[in-house]
Amino acid sequence: MPKPEFIYVTYIETTPEKLWHALTDGNFTERYWFGARLRSDWTVGSSFEMVRSDGTVSDAGKVVECDPPRRLAYTFVNQSDKYRNEFPALATFVLEPYGKLVKLTLTHQGFAEGSKFFQGISKGWPAILSSLKSILETGQPLDIPYAALKLDS
Amino acid sequence: MSKPEFVYTTYIETSADKLWQALTDGDFTERYWFGHRVASDWKVGSPYRFTHPERPSPEGKVLISDPPKKLAYTWNGCSDDLKQERTSRVTFDLEPRGNIVKLTVTHDNLDEGGKTFLGISEGWPMVIASLKSILETGRPLPADLATNAAREQADA
Repeated sequence: MPKPEFIYVTYIETTPEKLWHALTDGNFTERYWFGARLRSDWTVGSSFEMVRSDGTVSDAGKVVECDPPRRLAYTFVNQSDKYRNEFPALATFVLEPYGKLVKLTLTHQGFAEGSKFFQGISKGWPAILSSLKSILETGQPLDIPYAALKLDS
Repeated sequence: MSKPEFVYTTYIETSADKLWQALTDGDFTERYWFGHRVASDWKVGSPYRFTHPERPSPEGKVLISDPPKKLAYTWNGCSDDLKQERTSRVTFDLEPRGNIVKLTVTHDNLDEGGKTFLGISEGWPMVIASLKSILETGRPLPADLATNAAREQADA
């Protein structure tokens, strides 16, 4: 049986530099990523954290690859008890210019079979990446109700 | 072993009615679906057909039509080699969430290792990205996106 892996491709009318900024700047991610600020110095081997508005860390891992504005990869796992037996899986973003668009490919892999965290990220990424496309193309993120993700079902 | 299935979810700032129209109105699909116009009366059992001035287009029949919530149709590939493959199925689920609609496209009943699966796995992210752009900004993605990507794939 194949290991669970999540792949999502989208096309955004923006530049690789703006998309890179949107993926790595905590002030920017806070606007479209359900309020999460990403925190890292983006050096390979450095820590990577998602920080909630109250300052607590929801997810943590390490930077694995950083080649602006082309490839970014980091591991992370949610810090709640629900996922305490799970390993940080690897999320890789590939940015490819397509004329005046950028093709963004996210691959999230390295989950154990039956991973609960995998189920969570499979619901979360389409919402986060939809909001990312909206903020870059319209200036406004999406106001997706968190409950719409049905993370508990 | 389970058959391959392609599932793609996106969230669009629009209404379910507008999204339904965007999926079923030929004048609208032509603008964002890279020149492909769709035509049908959208009654269950009726045929639908996409047409394009230069490229082959899919066709099939309507399986579910429950506006503005659920649309499903069979999918017959257009070129001769795709016609050898089984008839697959496309389902659109539209779920309003405040001022946003969650759109889930499920394409299943596909041949294992078939060309249809490869083609639609490349195609849906482009079509849905362009659909989201036209509904949110009024502008689709450039029409040459599909042809550029096809060329790259052929060169690879």
